[in-house]
Amino acid sequence: MADLTSSRNTYASTPPPRMGVSKHVLYRWLSWTVPAIVVLLWEAAARLGLIAPQVLPAPSSVFATAANMTQNGELFIHLGVSLLRAAAGFVIGGSIGLALGVLVGFSPFAQALLDRPIQMIRAVPFLAMLPLVIVWFGVGEVAKIFLVALAVLFPIYINTMLGIRQIDPKLMELARVIGMSRAGVVRRIVIPGAMPSILTGVRYALAHAWLALVIAETLATTRGIGFLAMDAREFLNTNVILLTIIIYAIIGVVADALVRMLESRLLSWHANYVKGARK
Amino acid sequence: MTQSIEPIATAARTRDRNEPSALAVSVRGLQRRYGSRIVIDSLDLDIRKGEFVALLGESGCGKTTLLRALARLDTPDAGKIHAPERPSVVFQEPRLLPWATLWENVALGHEHTIGRDGAARALAEVGLAGREDDWPRNLSGGQAQRVALARALIHDPALLLLDEPFAALDALTRIKMHGLVKELVALHQPGVLIVTHDVDEALALADRILVMRAGRIAASFDTEDYAPLALRPTLLAELGVQRH
Repeated sequence: MADLTSSRNTYASTPPPRMGVSKHVLYRWLSWTVPAIVVLLWEAAARLGLIAPQVLPAPSSVFATAANMTQNGELFIHLGVSLLRAAAGFVIGGSIGLALGVLVGFSPFAQALLDRPIQMIRAVPFLAMLPLVIVWFGVGEVAKIFLVALAVLFPIYINTMLGIRQIDPKLMELARVIGMSRAGVVRRIVIPGAMPSILTGVRYALAHAWLALVIAETLATTRGIGFLAMDAREFLNTNVILLTIIIYAIIGVVADALVRMLESRLLSWHANYVKGARK
Repeated sequence: MTQSIEPIATAARTRDRNEPSALAVSVRGLQRRYGSRIVIDSLDLDIRKGEFVALLGESGCGKTTLLRALARLDTPDAGKIHAPERPSVVFQEPRLLPWATLWENVALGHEHTIGRDGAARALAEVGLAGREDDWPRNLSGGQAQRVALARALIHDPALLLLDEPFAALDALTRIKMHGLVKELVALHQPGVLIVTHDVDEALALADRILVMRAGRIAASFDTEDYAPLALRPTLLAELGVQRH
């Protein structure tokens, strides 16, 4: 993070290394060659019968399964259910984490009271809670959303709290001199100042949420991407298993891209996030 | 032990009759201790509106503590301060919000009452016309400090406190800033207290130069009583610099 109050001009980042446009494009294409070759070899090996279809079906056959399930709408129903669970858990866990983070980051009293218990719970790998969660909530939707919320809460909490702690006390002093209201300080200084850290928390939280969802959906379900995978396993339908794995991967990539978009919008003032400065 | 900080209103009302000498700040018997160490010792100080006062002193002589007391960032142990409720302060660092545009920085905390146009006028005053939507990261050190000046002067303060505001700037930029500050003070007529350790800066700016030593004002000079270069050796001697 740049030195926010320095009197010297340290806000600007070093410009990204200059590269010819054509070279840039070339490297971009080049980065896809290895994955493409792997897929082609895989397809060839499957067609030549070198790999049994139950072990690893050909990419083309996975693609055909995807097309088929898209056509009859089955894929969207399961995808929708999974995304809804993730979103519900994310909103619940994220809100609690954000509120606790702001509270503890702001008030030494809240820190003394709350930080230790929160850190103690955080020390438990959330997947270890699974049997307890099942006892508490059964295997229904509540258990799944609870698990996702739990996974999201801690990264958001920690990064929000740290983000607020890192705010320059000199800026808080300035706020006092200018006579800003408490609400003004939160809106103009605390939230924007903590935003880079909060968004880092959101990134971690998304990764954790996804992991929690995959595990949660292996619990007794009749809908969701996880159900598709479990159901396919019963029938040794490797096509579908592979498809669900790919879908999980795609959603992970999309979620990450969403956070990056948020970063470049909300942190446009920050030298590190100026367009093109980030790899 | 008495300790009070009162708005200047009552004091100013009685003095407003002889308008030119209306006080921007009045300090009586100010005392501040850190543990057993006395940092400010029964200090008296008056600054009139429109008067430019420089406070010179070695590090640790209490000059910054005095400024912070006037800015209400520090609570004295004893004494009376009659100061405006909200003096403006320019610190050594510009303290701009990097996530806010220049006009938002200038109007910070008062965006609705000042507005973009008001902030733009203040920016024009410090030579940054048309830059209101620019970001702090695009400014040089001197430009950033000019924005800080605009932010301080936009409230038309009765008292302007400058805490070594040009110490981090290069020599040429500093000279330019001196000119700008003199102009702006002549325009807005606040009482000014600048804390500095630079004798030449004090000579360039101030109507009155105070030398602070061991928590007290040890010497006071009206610059108009001296020829331009006559005061310099005296001040250096006061500050303990031996000339060979």
